[in-house]
Amino acid sequence: MNAIETSGLGKRFRRAWALRDCTLAIPGGHVVALVGPNGAGKTTLLHMAVGLTTPTAGAVTVLGGDPAGSPDALNRIAFVAQDAPLYKNLPAADMLHLARNLNRRWDQRYAETRLTDLGIPLKRKVGKLSGGQQAQLALTVALARRPDLLVLDEPLAMLDPLARHDFMASVMEAVAEEGVSVILSSHVLAELERVADYLIVLSHGKVQVAGEVENLLAGHRVLTGPASETDDHMQRMSVVNCRRAGAQSHLLVRTTTAADPVPPGWEAHDVGLEELVLAYLRQPGAAALPGPVAVHAGPSAGRPGYGGPA
Amino acid sequence: MTALTAPAVRGGRRPVPWTRLAWVTWRQHRFMLAGVAALLGGLSLYLLIMGLKIRSAYASLAACHPATSAGCQMLASLNAGYHSTAQTFTGLLQVVPVLVGVFAGAPLLARELETGTFRFAWTQGCGRLRWTITMLALLAAALTAAAWAFSVLFSWYYHPFFAQGLDGVLAPQLFDLRGVAYAAWTLAAFAIGALAGAAIKRTVPAMAASLATWAGLDLATVLFLRKHYEAPLIAHGANPGFSINSWVVSQWFTGPAGQPASQATIRTVMQHAPASVQNAQDPGVALAWLGQRHYTQWWAYQPQSRFWLFQFIEGGWLLALSLVLLTATIWLVRRRAA
Repeated sequence: MNAIETSGLGKRFRRAWALRDCTLAIPGGHVVALVGPNGAGKTTLLHMAVGLTTPTAGAVTVLGGDPAGSPDALNRIAFVAQDAPLYKNLPAADMLHLARNLNRRWDQRYAETRLTDLGIPLKRKVGKLSGGQQAQLALTVALARRPDLLVLDEPLAMLDPLARHDFMASVMEAVAEEGVSVILSSHVLAELERVADYLIVLSHGKVQVAGEVENLLAGHRVLTGPASETDDHMQRMSVVNCRRAGAQSHLLVRTTTAADPVPPGWEAHDVGLEELVLAYLRQPGAAALPGPVAVHAGPSAGRPGYGGPA
Repeated sequence: MTALTAPAVRGGRRPVPWTRLAWVTWRQHRFMLAGVAALLGGLSLYLLIMGLKIRSAYASLAACHPATSAGCQMLASLNAGYHSTAQTFTGLLQVVPVLVGVFAGAPLLARELETGTFRFAWTQGCGRLRWTITMLALLAAALTAAAWAFSVLFSWYYHPFFAQGLDGVLAPQLFDLRGVAYAAWTLAAFAIGALAGAAIKRTVPAMAASLATWAGLDLATVLFLRKHYEAPLIAHGANPGFSINSWVVSQWFTGPAGQPASQATIRTVMQHAPASVQNAQDPGVALAWLGQRHYTQWWAYQPQSRFWLFQFIEGGWLLALSLVLLTATIWLVRRRAA
């Protein structure tokens, strides 16, 4: 079952497209990282998936075909919006009670236990809690709904490193215990590297990369060699991004098999998730998507062709 | 996917019950509702005490003999004092509906949209439509009912003055406060506020907009609209024969040939009148004198007997308007692209 499926999805605000021609099938059972620079359309995509925003073009369904925002979809998706908006003037306990009365599915015992374990005082007003506690409370409210899909929009942006770690630990615990699918947007790549097993890169309103992290990492490598030979190799290989440092060049290339030959005089390295994402973000024309994708070939851009993992 | 085996997990495929959403409405708006209750409660207490005082004062006056005695005259002037206080008080009560609209209606959706909490509220299992409809319907019903109850009390309070013939029931500042009009104006104010909040998305501008809109609507109704609910009756001459407490909506003069005569023309004619006519206390004397010269005064007026007809016409269109505005609010929420 696909957690989120979009076809030709687009959203236009006034004249500018926030998201365009987005066709995705995000399988369930993953922790999906949705990354991209500010203004790439991450929030727009998530808002459309939870039914907050109506698409200008195309369609989005969730959890195996329910239209986004339909009662059945809302019942099974929990969304924590950016900055974790909650009613600041309510005590945490009332916030739980409110959410309980707004939902068909609710696990009060789980919510109370979790807040106690986290040391969040139930009687304190939400506005008086620390940023990390507010984020944890929002996550608790979301998880107590026992969702099949948890959608988190920039959950880490406002948190300090320790709170980030704790927050992600809570998410991963829910994944391990409940089998909940998670999609989270962020531009904190380092935090995602440890937890995400599926990656989507959005850039300028378009999907650039989509695929399982394992396959993406296996399907790319970095070649380091003399700068003088770079242009020659770039003609023959599927190069995503080229960085020149003095006499040496670093090429991020796509490989079809692990046995792709390395040119003589060049060295091959495995690529990290962060390096991979940065390489694609530096080349907005390049794409690694399931299926055929046409890209514009620039001087150092990737080639048209069958990119990435199938 | 998740197995829902834990016994603590409630719920299934049936929608979230209304009673649960009613609790949410109460929890989120109880301070506002308490404020309205305190305001109307305080005013009600005043009306109750004053109403009893006025009744006993008129009873003493009725029992006072002889009526021309100094003691009775003093009682009468005391009652006149009650009446002028009541008239000031009615002015104050005019603004209560718009306060409800501004402080209860406008922030309802504007605050959610302004603080971003709509992203929480509208993604819960109950769905944003059910959330919006419950909240609007319950608050509208509660506020309208409170305003109606208050206007019943006001009618009781003011009744002695009507019984004495001191005021007409169609007088603009009294018509609004009685019958179904007060409740209808309160509902309209709430609906205007709610729509302004949903459309403007910011609390303070939405409050200002609903204040201006409600005031404009109220003014236009009192000045232009209400007098046309039914064609006014026409009277003319020195003895027009309609009650002094009727609502005169316009008056004019005609000349000897039946043509309209301006105020200036009448003043010019009156300059030729003898001093006894010009200085007469009774306006009927001047009118009779003008009549001999074929100048006639005309009145268009609404008789007091049309009170309930007018109440239901005004209540009816305000109710219809409110329903349209509330529907538009729900439509905006449904359609809104965040």
